[in-house]
Amino acid sequence: MMNLNSIVVGYDGSVESENAVRWAVRLAHGVDATVTVLHAAGILERLDTPFRRSATPEAVERIVAEERLDAARCHWVVDDGDACSALLRSAAPPIGAQLLVVGSRGHGKRPGMLIGSVSLEVVQHAAVPVVVIPGFEAPV
Amino acid sequence: MVLVVNDAADDSLHESPEHPERPGRVQAARAALTTLDLGSDLVVVPARVATRAELSRVHAVGYLDELGAYCYGGGGDLDQDTYATYDSWSIATLAAGAGLAVVTELQRRGDGVGFVAVRPPGHHALRDRAMGFCLLNNIAVSAAALVAQGERVVIVDWDVHHGNGTQQIFWDEPNVLYISLHQWPLFPGSGSPVEIGGPGALGSVLNVPLPAGATGDVLRRALEDIVAPVVDAFGPTWVLVSAGYDAHYLDPMADLCLSDGDFADLASSVARYVATPGRLAFFLEGGYHLDALRDSVGATMAAVLGAPHAGEPSTNGGPGASHLVSVAAQRRAAFESWTRVAGEEAR
Repeated sequence: MMNLNSIVVGYDGSVESENAVRWAVRLAHGVDATVTVLHAAGILERLDTPFRRSATPEAVERIVAEERLDAARCHWVVDDGDACSALLRSAAPPIGAQLLVVGSRGHGKRPGMLIGSVSLEVVQHAAVPVVVIPGFEAPV
Repeated sequence: MVLVVNDAADDSLHESPEHPERPGRVQAARAALTTLDLGSDLVVVPARVATRAELSRVHAVGYLDELGAYCYGGGGDLDQDTYATYDSWSIATLAAGAGLAVVTELQRRGDGVGFVAVRPPGHHALRDRAMGFCLLNNIAVSAAALVAQGERVVIVDWDVHHGNGTQQIFWDEPNVLYISLHQWPLFPGSGSPVEIGGPGALGSVLNVPLPAGATGDVLRRALEDIVAPVVDAFGPTWVLVSAGYDAHYLDPMADLCLSDGDFADLASSVARYVATPGRLAFFLEGGYHLDALRDSVGATMAAVLGAPHAGEPSTNGGPGASHLVSVAAQRRAAFESWTRVAGEEAR
């Protein structure tokens, strides 16, 4: 059975992504893996605009501390692009994710909600296993 | 020479408060065209809605259905950058159709140059996904229509961001040559020189990433030394330009340092890629500083039309010249790698 050494989790500052980070950190703790917290820097990243969601390492550091994971086993990475593309790229070197973790905002509530679903896109295209953490209604 | 431009559609309902991709952008571009004072040489054609068949040449039918349903369901955020409203579907299909209308008018006249002044922009829109403010890939819809008529199309993309959507859509299409000059690293993260096209169209993608601070002289040299030989070898019958203006030094989105005079230089170079008149059209992509956008659009079209335009001088002295050597080397290495793999597979 393959050892799980490298977990990548998407983080955009949302409650859903914080849940995903917490789940990934707990898993990393349990299986002695490293976890890379990946923030996709969108086109608006450098602008001071209400559209830019605040996603900073501090929130992740708090989760890592609360879950008592060795901070050296958690890496913060910012990659240019949309969240889906950045997560898919992380399966290749240099990160080499063996498992992708992504939060879900939930979908299917009304027509058209399948588009814009990062979790669905990642599941459809990923070359490695993906764990989708359910949305706000079911926190970890 | 006439300038063919689409008429002004009402795009005011594709808007989100404080979002930089806003209706004022097209108004700024149109103001620039008006100030060229072309008189009867300014030909305005009515935009039309792109049909489902025209859109499905470059977009998955399932995506088109989902996007339409999402908009008519009220819209919302599609990703961290991109929004849609109830009216976005009708505005986006009209933007895609505007390019088709301008191209058709150029074909009818056999003369002139086109400018497609539309939003939302298009070059980030993937075959099955909206991103980077883009819902439908306007320039790809027009390029695909031309390819369906047997044409060979060069797309030159000088928006500061790599046009990942256009590249993806034509990745394996040998009748489209996609060329991008863009800042790197920057959103969307793609656009490496080693991305040279799919197995059915090796060499049909040419990426020239540039460092922050690059000035016009570097882009001019890139067009002359790297791009022109590739275009000559391809032999285009049409040239379409993804004309983004966010590489301007005033634009808040990125860090290239072009002036409006540089865009005039780029436009003059690109206009020489096709000898036959009436086969050159510019499509508005990015550009978020409205004054810079207006002046740069004016400089672009004045240069192509030979109209007077008092603008900023060209820029020189920024970094990036050494990058061009590296770009050429990386592209050669990618070709050699593909050739080696193909040879091994043949054995």
